[in-house]
Amino acid sequence: MTTVTTALAEYRRRLATNRLGLWLFILSDSFVFGGLYISRFYLLGTQGRPDVNQFVGFVVTLVLLISSFFMNRAETAMAHGDRKTFLRGTLTTLILGLVFLIGVLGVEWQIAPFGPGDGTAASLFYTMTGFHAFHVLTGLIFLAVVYRNGRKGLYSPERHWAVEAAAVYWHFIDVVWIFYYPALYLIGRPPI
Amino acid sequence: MDEKAVDEKVLEEKKLEAFRIGAGVLILLAIMTIGEFWIGAVASAWWAPLLAIAVLKAFFVMRDYMHLSRLFAPEEAEE
Repeated sequence: MTTVTTALAEYRRRLATNRLGLWLFILSDSFVFGGLYISRFYLLGTQGRPDVNQFVGFVVTLVLLISSFFMNRAETAMAHGDRKTFLRGTLTTLILGLVFLIGVLGVEWQIAPFGPGDGTAASLFYTMTGFHAFHVLTGLIFLAVVYRNGRKGLYSPERHWAVEAAAVYWHFIDVVWIFYYPALYLIGRPPI
Repeated sequence: MDEKAVDEKVLEEKKLEAFRIGAGVLILLAIMTIGEFWIGAVASAWWAPLLAIAVLKAFFVMRDYMHLSRLFAPEEAEE
């Protein structure tokens, strides 16, 4: 019993360090996203923006926000020992993340009336959405691993750091898009 | 009611509370996103309110979904 208690105490001590490490990683990644965000306003100001489809942007934004809700549901379910809801939530997040990726890369990139080399606004659009999409892809891989391990029963209400880390990373991707969406789709007018 | 049944009831209540918070935040985020879309469609020059909405949305996600407060919690305390 004492061994179990000591192991759990050690796990919780490490958990605090893990959390700090994850947030430091998020902070350092934010600087790259932030640099691109500032570049957009420095180069295009508040009057210009890429000639993108606003409705597609709106739909993919809603999809990503809904995916965050399901990820939060999955994480809290695991924390409360509800494995079934956890698996369902993680799988829904995976599917919605895939829909977001298809919406940006498969739809928006294909219907955009410009290529990556067609001026500053176009380059910024492809760089910002591409860099974000790469993070979405890594998030999806992370979620797939968590889902697979969850199905094997490797997590418990006391020990599920991987689930928490995947959830925090996924929400971080959401926060980045919360800022990128108005910067790329809403602020300013497209060139005539 | 025995101890196990009480524990299960408390756990169910906690789960329900977590769901309520998550759903409430989603509704707020959806309303703000619709507001953003509307502002962007009718008045694209209004960059300040759009940025303010983005900050507000990020705040809710970081507080309620990312549980930023956990970072500053004592090591023993767990939700």
